[in-house]
Amino acid sequence: MKKKKDFESVEHTADIKIRVYGTTLQELFTHALIGMFQSIGPHASDCTIEHERLVCKSLDRTRSVEVDSPDREALLVDFLSEALYLSDIYDEAYLDCTIHELTDTHLKATIRGVPVTGFDVVEIKAVTYHDLAIKEIDGVWQTDIVFDI
Amino acid sequence: MEDKKLTWEDFIKISDVCYEIPQSFRADMRVPARVFMTEDMFDDISEDRSLLQLVNVATLPGIQKAAYAMPDIHQGYGFPIGGVAATAIDEGGVISPGGIGYDINCGVRLLVANMNYHELKPYLEQLATALFSAVPSGVGRGGRLKLSMDEMDKVLIDGARHMLVRGYGTEEDLMHCEEEGCMAGADARLVSERAKKRGSDQLGTLGSGNHFLEVQRVDDVFDATIADVYGLQKDAVCVMIHCGSRGLGHQTCTDYVKKMMANLTEYGYQLPDRELVCAPFTSKEGQEYFAAMAAASNFAWANRHLIGHWVREAWRTVVGSHADLTTVYDVSHNIGKREVHTIDGIQKQLVMHRKGATRAFGPGTSQTPIDYRAVGQPVFIPGTMGTASYVLAGTQEGMEVAFGSSCHGAGRRMSRAKAKKTVRGTQLRAELEAHGIIVRCDSDAGLAEEAPIAYKDVDSVVNVVDRAGIAKKVVRVTPLAVIKGG
Repeated sequence: MKKKKDFESVEHTADIKIRVYGTTLQELFTHALIGMFQSIGPHASDCTIEHERLVCKSLDRTRSVEVDSPDREALLVDFLSEALYLSDIYDEAYLDCTIHELTDTHLKATIRGVPVTGFDVVEIKAVTYHDLAIKEIDGVWQTDIVFDI
Repeated sequence: MEDKKLTWEDFIKISDVCYEIPQSFRADMRVPARVFMTEDMFDDISEDRSLLQLVNVATLPGIQKAAYAMPDIHQGYGFPIGGVAATAIDEGGVISPGGIGYDINCGVRLLVANMNYHELKPYLEQLATALFSAVPSGVGRGGRLKLSMDEMDKVLIDGARHMLVRGYGTEEDLMHCEEEGCMAGADARLVSERAKKRGSDQLGTLGSGNHFLEVQRVDDVFDATIADVYGLQKDAVCVMIHCGSRGLGHQTCTDYVKKMMANLTEYGYQLPDRELVCAPFTSKEGQEYFAAMAAASNFAWANRHLIGHWVREAWRTVVGSHADLTTVYDVSHNIGKREVHTIDGIQKQLVMHRKGATRAFGPGTSQTPIDYRAVGQPVFIPGTMGTASYVLAGTQEGMEVAFGSSCHGAGRRMSRAKAKKTVRGTQLRAELEAHGIIVRCDSDAGLAEEAPIAYKDVDSVVNVVDRAGIAKKVVRVTPLAVIKGG
């Protein structure tokens, strides 16, 4: 069975840009989280690199995230910003999540990841709103996200 | 709003190095937009959305005179990088975090050694290794200093001055620093706990990406009088430090973008780009952001002050206790300031946004250190890794033409992904070393991303600034050793 596309890199002169897909909004938000961390090449033990992605036997570190925002795009930015903050203070990368509540203005989720010893080459300064527009195209939710590095 | 396309025909020539997009270009512009560039730079500059971003900046409430772009302009978030905009506080002028940047007070510090290149040469390899060890650089490597929350608050209020009290650096380091390393109006309570947690083990760290530490040699002197005043004779040895406020600054900007986004409808602004989110400077959000930004700026100055101290220590360990480094100056290129400028004969209180742009105050200005006041404030333009950097001086003409502002470097012209495909890090390392440049960097991929080919030409950027009269070339420095993170 062909694997559903979750995210892919998009060429960008100065920063990191990904295009994220999901069959549901929950999936879109999850794939955005995975795409963000996979894009910066986390280094973790007990994990391997397969097809340029970190693959880990288990994701033992769990963190709770709850955000409220004025609209859906702001919610995605705030969710990813929250994950970035947690990553920085706990030295972790999050490669999956379970979304418990999701509306256009509220999200509650558990994100799961691994401890990291560093990242490949970059640190993300911020999740930006640039080119961010969550749309449904042919039954698939998608958006671009640009990370300021 | 649909982006109206810009063509060369939309520009009015002000001079060979200055072109204007008139206010009539778009109905929502409140002032024109001015770009310091030559005609042959236009194709390169117009490849991304930076010029349209500049037009968007010209719509900000309270903006004065023009939205300015330096010749290194490139696409940013809201504001283009290389953008300068002043809004009038008493005319409903706004403050916009996008006009300052996520890396609050990213900037450059330059120190000069009491030895010349020929005296340093025997020590260079050992020195590069010692500096790489003394200054944590890459992501995931915390700092040598861990701050308690109490001490963090002192750093946020007192900036580099607090580090001096702690026994790091010298009084001269402070005197030769923009704002003397401590911006007034900072309020530590307005920096979030999250930002403080992120910054707590990051003081004294370079970060990664295009941040670096370089040992350099003065190889060309354009203005010997000013060079002498700055202490930069031919073959003088310098150390350039390029870094900012790390995770503390990034989080602070993120926090206030979120707050302002939530309150945007309150002010009824019709913003052409969400990332221009702003608030009136005199509003609660505006005042709180300014105070938090000042605090984050102080963290960055404390950061560069501490790194300067460790550089000095490492230097003395290798070269001997007689060795010394003096801070020439320290400039910010991502910051918001309260400044007074004369516009049409009237003195106005302004909120000055400089994002990827450096303050370049001319001779006689009180903010310039007293020993430099006769010649103007030093300005540092770092080149790309392995290429030249420049020292310039602010001018009186620049005060009138661009609110005393200059460029900050050269923008990227190639994506990191393409740079890594085009340049192999190991080969680049070998090429740099073949040119006598010592490289200390853990990551070959990180090196490749910052390869000179990935950047625009800093020489042409600096020449435009010099020809426009907004800052004057003083010396050129070339790298001897490059120390950077991944």
